[in-house]
Amino acid sequence: MDSQRLGNELKKILPPGRVLTSSLERKMYSYDSSFHARFRSFVPDAVTLPRSTAEVAEIMRFASNNNIPVVPRGAGSGETCGCLAVRGGIVLDLSGWDTIEEVDAANMQVIVRPGVVHYILNEHLAGFGLFFPPDPGSTRMCTIGGMVANNSSGLRAVKYGTTEQYVLGLEVVLPDGRVITTGGTNCRALKNVSGLNLTKLFVGSEGTLGVITRIRLRVWPRPRARGIVMAVFGSLDEAPAAVLDVYQSGILPSGIEILDSSAIQAVNMYKPEINLPAAEAILLFEVDGNPAGVEWEGQKIVEITGKRALSVEWATDSQRMADLWRGRGVVAVAAARLRPDGSRIFAGEDISVPLSRVTEALRRIKELGREFGVAVVNYGHIGDGNVHTAPVINLENSDEVARANGLVDAIHRLAIELHGSTTGEHGVGAVRNQYALAEHGEAVNVMKRLKETLDPGNIMNPGKLLPPGEE
Amino acid sequence: MSMDLNSLKEHYLRCVRCGQCRAVCPVFAGIGNETAAPRGKVFLAHMLAAGELKADAEIAHNLSLCLLCRACTRECPSAVPVHKIITAARSLLAREVPNTLQKIIFKEIWSRSSLLNISARLLRGCQNLGLTVLGRSMGMLPPALDLVGKLPRRPARSFISEVTRPEGAPRIKVGYFLGCATNLMFPHVARSTVAVLSLLGCEVITPRELKCCGLPQEENGQMDVAESLARSNFAAFQRLGSKAIVTDCASCFAALKDSSAFKDIEIMDLFQLLNGLLPGHNLKKIDRAITYHDPCHLAKAQGITAAPRELLTRICPGFREMPGANSCCGGGGSFMLYHYNTSMGILDKKISAIKETGAKIVTTSCPSCTMQIRHGLAKQGLPIPVIHPVELLAQTLGIIF
Repeated sequence: MDSQRLGNELKKILPPGRVLTSSLERKMYSYDSSFHARFRSFVPDAVTLPRSTAEVAEIMRFASNNNIPVVPRGAGSGETCGCLAVRGGIVLDLSGWDTIEEVDAANMQVIVRPGVVHYILNEHLAGFGLFFPPDPGSTRMCTIGGMVANNSSGLRAVKYGTTEQYVLGLEVVLPDGRVITTGGTNCRALKNVSGLNLTKLFVGSEGTLGVITRIRLRVWPRPRARGIVMAVFGSLDEAPAAVLDVYQSGILPSGIEILDSSAIQAVNMYKPEINLPAAEAILLFEVDGNPAGVEWEGQKIVEITGKRALSVEWATDSQRMADLWRGRGVVAVAAARLRPDGSRIFAGEDISVPLSRVTEALRRIKELGREFGVAVVNYGHIGDGNVHTAPVINLENSDEVARANGLVDAIHRLAIELHGSTTGEHGVGAVRNQYALAEHGEAVNVMKRLKETLDPGNIMNPGKLLPPGEE
Repeated sequence: MSMDLNSLKEHYLRCVRCGQCRAVCPVFAGIGNETAAPRGKVFLAHMLAAGELKADAEIAHNLSLCLLCRACTRECPSAVPVHKIITAARSLLAREVPNTLQKIIFKEIWSRSSLLNISARLLRGCQNLGLTVLGRSMGMLPPALDLVGKLPRRPARSFISEVTRPEGAPRIKVGYFLGCATNLMFPHVARSTVAVLSLLGCEVITPRELKCCGLPQEENGQMDVAESLARSNFAAFQRLGSKAIVTDCASCFAALKDSSAFKDIEIMDLFQLLNGLLPGHNLKKIDRAITYHDPCHLAKAQGITAAPRELLTRICPGFREMPGANSCCGGGGSFMLYHYNTSMGILDKKISAIKETGAKIVTTSCPSCTMQIRHGLAKQGLPIPVIHPVELLAQTLGIIF
């Protein structure tokens, strides 16, 4: 079905203004934040802006009857082409469907539509003394729907885990237009083990099984205090060892971040006034909870890390905490400043390795950078082994682009070799699905069977998650 | 001033399309889909520069959907100067898809003081004859015309000499950049600025031959005209030996600050200057509740937010902060002309914030914001005046015109 006819059919389903069909409008849905999308243009045949479950169901029935791919999209802040129409079809832009339907404070849960932005939800919940703990770096723009679809997490996953631990139930429109509710049709309980856990099946399924249209999330009491410890190390090996020391002392910080020497250098080049100490590694520990507990844990971390670190600082003053955190805050942009013509790319940026092998991973990535002739900056959530690598290249140099692709492939293979994963929190999409078999083996066939059962026509976000061409 | 799109390549290549700009863009908040996202405009500019997209009216329309408020530039984690890229793209579009009306207004009329004055007089004549009201009621004139309000009989220029001597011993010699909107629509602001500066010991130089600051031209793709105006204005101040300039217009201030033509002249923040000059002067404080709206060209473009508040709290104990004071009001210079409905959607939030303060006076230091907020308040029947802080200061210093 050509784009114009498709648009006309969709305009019969949605009210005026909620189907975008012009070439320019569609082009603006051809990208996300991935490196891959910088060089490939995935222009959908139509873009729709549904605002109700009934509208989504109607679109799905139409798409199913006509065998047209459908790609759900949140804020498009992902790094995997997950929300791009790699095989054409209809994009469902759900980001404008942003109603917080109910804060059920008595039952410690909140019910939202998929387009609610993460930080807006937490601002709203703050009024109830509550919060939704997973905290991606993209909090300002990413949507809860996108977080659920990708099982996102962030800086505080060390203590609070990932999105899946908070999803109590979902409303999902299946590829044929049927609407189901997982986690119990009328359930408001926090615990529920009846039936197969379909909620967990859809969380992290990246839009390949259905369209998530309503989300019931567990929320937690908001911590009353927080503090930050900055520890500076003269040896890279000392940093993960210090993390282990802290864990073994019985403390679970809410976040543990690492900047290696490349990141420290990049930050100091970008913002000399931040003036991070020249070192092999800097660790930032965040602790939260009640004021007395935070103070005790902070002081204890100072004592423990002080045995290995060159210097340690503890802060609870909000300004000082912001200052200490600034280095971590700007590292993503600072990376590009390693060279004047450099652009940071999002590729190979999210591997996850066992805690015991973080140091090895950081070293090997540096070596790979040298081998491929690509500058890399390493930082990440060392507390859970999630390493963020920022390759910096000249996007206009095709040789560099090719070398960067080689580096990225090597980083992904390194993650598997180290008994880790190609992605800790950003997802698979169309950029890591070629590693599915290497990561999951025979389990991939079960995933394929599940996909076939729920989406026999393979119209839900095709070309993602499963090995290319094998869905 | 901004530059050619190709010269901004390293900047637009740095955009990783993360979408953080979506969180702060007032236009995106109003339209609510990706076609309005600032990163999308950077994407289009990139495609235009690379020759992968051909300039056309639809792209021009898309790129016109930006207030140039710089919220995205300030927020961007990759430090991409989004507003510069959009301005440069508009310039490319103005060359390749010329808009005759835009060119006549911003290049031929607005850049020539004499023609701008005549146009203002003509408009005033039409207002006096009731033709604008008639035209509006018949739907022949755009609703944005309501924002202009009744033009005053005399422009500020007719009240201000080229050199205004200080009262008492001279403390500083300062150039005053009289912007066109202030001159033609808000002469009281200009007169207050000059009178206050003079009273506080400044010799004020206001060159006769001043032209538009160039910002409207730059925003509308006439970059060459903007640069020529800047050079002309610089020469005017140079002729009178000005080493420092102030202006009471936030937009002119941003244009002067950004201009490469004004290299050897210091562009001073008026509020900071006034705060420094005020100690020792008796002030008859304002006893009404006031609030302040941050013009984007002052707060986001220059980071100036504390100095106006310092001045206002000094002259008015009843100062009240409004929620989201530095959120754009939706005026955006000519934006409200092209996109009236979107502009009004953004304005509604600002008016709600003002109402929340219970203030009896709104202050701001940008003629475009003043017109916009005044319009929004009038639409809701709220009898709250919108005035420049310097007008209040003149009042507290006992200056009467």
